[in-house]
Amino acid sequence: MANASLNHEFDRILAREEAGLNRPQKGSRAFRKLMGNPLAVAGLVIFMIILLSSIFAPILTAHDPLKINLREMLQEPSAEHWFGTDRTGRDVFARILYGGRVSILVGLGSSLIAAVIGVGLGAYTGYVGGWVDTVALRISEIFMAFPQIILVLLLVSIAGQSLLNLIIIFVLSGWGSMYRMTRARMLSLREEEFVQALQSFGVPTLKICYKHILPNALGPIMVNITLTTAMFILAEAGLSFLGLGVPLSIPTWGNILNVAKDIRVLENNWWMWLPVGMVISFFVLSVNFIGDGMRDSTDPTLQG
Amino acid sequence: MVRASRAALIGEPAEGHFFMLTFILRRLFITVPMLLVISFLVYLGLELTPGDAVSHMIDPEAASRVSSEQYEQMREALGLNKNFVQRYAIWVSNVVQGNFGHSLSGGVPISTIVLDRLPATLELSLFALIFSTLFGCVLGTISALRRGSPTDSALTILGMIGVSIPEFFFGLVSILIFALHFDLLPVGGRLIPEYDSYFDHLPNIILPGLVLSMMMTAGVMRYSRSAMLDSLSREFIRTARSKGLPEWRINIIHGFRVALTPVVILIGFRLPTLIGGSVIIEEVFQWPGIGSEFISAVRGADYPLVMSIALLSVFAMLMASLIVDVLTALIDPRVRLA
Repeated sequence: MANASLNHEFDRILAREEAGLNRPQKGSRAFRKLMGNPLAVAGLVIFMIILLSSIFAPILTAHDPLKINLREMLQEPSAEHWFGTDRTGRDVFARILYGGRVSILVGLGSSLIAAVIGVGLGAYTGYVGGWVDTVALRISEIFMAFPQIILVLLLVSIAGQSLLNLIIIFVLSGWGSMYRMTRARMLSLREEEFVQALQSFGVPTLKICYKHILPNALGPIMVNITLTTAMFILAEAGLSFLGLGVPLSIPTWGNILNVAKDIRVLENNWWMWLPVGMVISFFVLSVNFIGDGMRDSTDPTLQG
Repeated sequence: MVRASRAALIGEPAEGHFFMLTFILRRLFITVPMLLVISFLVYLGLELTPGDAVSHMIDPEAASRVSSEQYEQMREALGLNKNFVQRYAIWVSNVVQGNFGHSLSGGVPISTIVLDRLPATLELSLFALIFSTLFGCVLGTISALRRGSPTDSALTILGMIGVSIPEFFFGLVSILIFALHFDLLPVGGRLIPEYDSYFDHLPNIILPGLVLSMMMTAGVMRYSRSAMLDSLSREFIRTARSKGLPEWRINIIHGFRVALTPVVILIGFRLPTLIGGSVIIEEVFQWPGIGSEFISAVRGADYPLVMSIALLSVFAMLMASLIVDVLTALIDPRVRLA
């Protein structure tokens, strides 16, 4: 019964194909699957809206995020200042837009650099093995033995606060998991038959490793990059909230939220911290939706 | 690299204990050098940061009256004029005995500070651990039993929202609503001076504890959902159903019990990360634990304190992962370290 209807369905598809009715499918299969996931699409839309409005901040607002205007201190949201002004009269909306530039740069930038290091190293050592592999593995274990936030704060106390230092610190704390994941994938992929074929043709090791094996591991790597980006954006916000992240003179999402430590601001001036907290939450949520959608579309073992 | 042990393959029960012992020894063989390397790096960091123990022991106002000879004598008394390796050896033997040196601010022994602050962190972490496990398991099980339903998708999305909101922002909003607006719970702090019995400060832990639990629930929920799905697809469930057992008995007694094992292991693994996880929450709620102490040490460039707490957290992490590995191997004989 079920078989009959299934056969019927197959016949129908075959007939459509023979009649040339099926559109030639564009893009990769994983990408099409991602586009069929409503949460991932919603995530992409929110992500693009926040990213583009940060990039085009000068077009969207006429205010300078750094300009102090003591005549317009602590104003509530109005047509002039959409999200009001802070204690020194700076426009909060402009600060969120410009702050997004730095926060996204830190989050995305650190996770991309961490990926280049972790994936580059993991692909090579996972493929060649031997003592190089052991040494790299032990080094990554040292970094991963620390709870993430403890390691980040420890490095902040040694290196001091600056934008560049923060990116370096995030890279140091994040490359380990990328390395471990890539290495694990390489360990199983290097046993595949196409690798043996390439080796017997005398293809150089580096070429086999990066050009032929690595692309097979790209799915989980991309997922890891998105989820790490989300994690770093939260970490930047948390650190800057503590006053230990990006120096306070540079507007970032975390630095804008920093004022909410003052309980009077928390109680009376909601516009100074609520909108930016929502923006961070939405941005991270959108990145998580994208990452989750990518995991579903690239990992065939996860069909739950 | 998971390999079936010989004992498990051939089925020799007598050898089981022996394998377990070698497994634990081999695991220790990795953990101890790791701790030594990390302690060396931490010590290197301590040496490279400005100031030494003597310069911090002397009162700044009295510093001008201390002659360089006296200074040298003090350095010698503390063993600071020995070479680097010797100093490291002295430091390690002190640390093993629980002597971490002194904090730069106030000169209090670091072990005293840690012992003073640890109970608060453990209290908060334990609270969050219990509640997040409860919520996570219940919600994850519901999600798995109603797989594909609107309840399942709603819970999944809720879980993602949970991991996307910055924890301190969630904490601030909860302070605003429950402490400032409705005045139900205190804004922060832990002990009220006159009342120091445990139940007197119960209201203080509710807000930070629940915020921390909510943040952790998402992970447990996701994990217990997939563990439950896995367990429900096994054959003993079909057997139970064919026996005509009521559905709730199949799900709870047979399904959930099997799903619980990986979840318990996950929770064991989370224990040390809780120390890291509560750092920011402690600061938001002025909870006087290790986390807020660590942050103020970082702020005040109190390097000995920063390094000691970091080293202790690494120790906790490594010990927990050791215990988790041993537990996993005990429960599941297929898992052995290659």
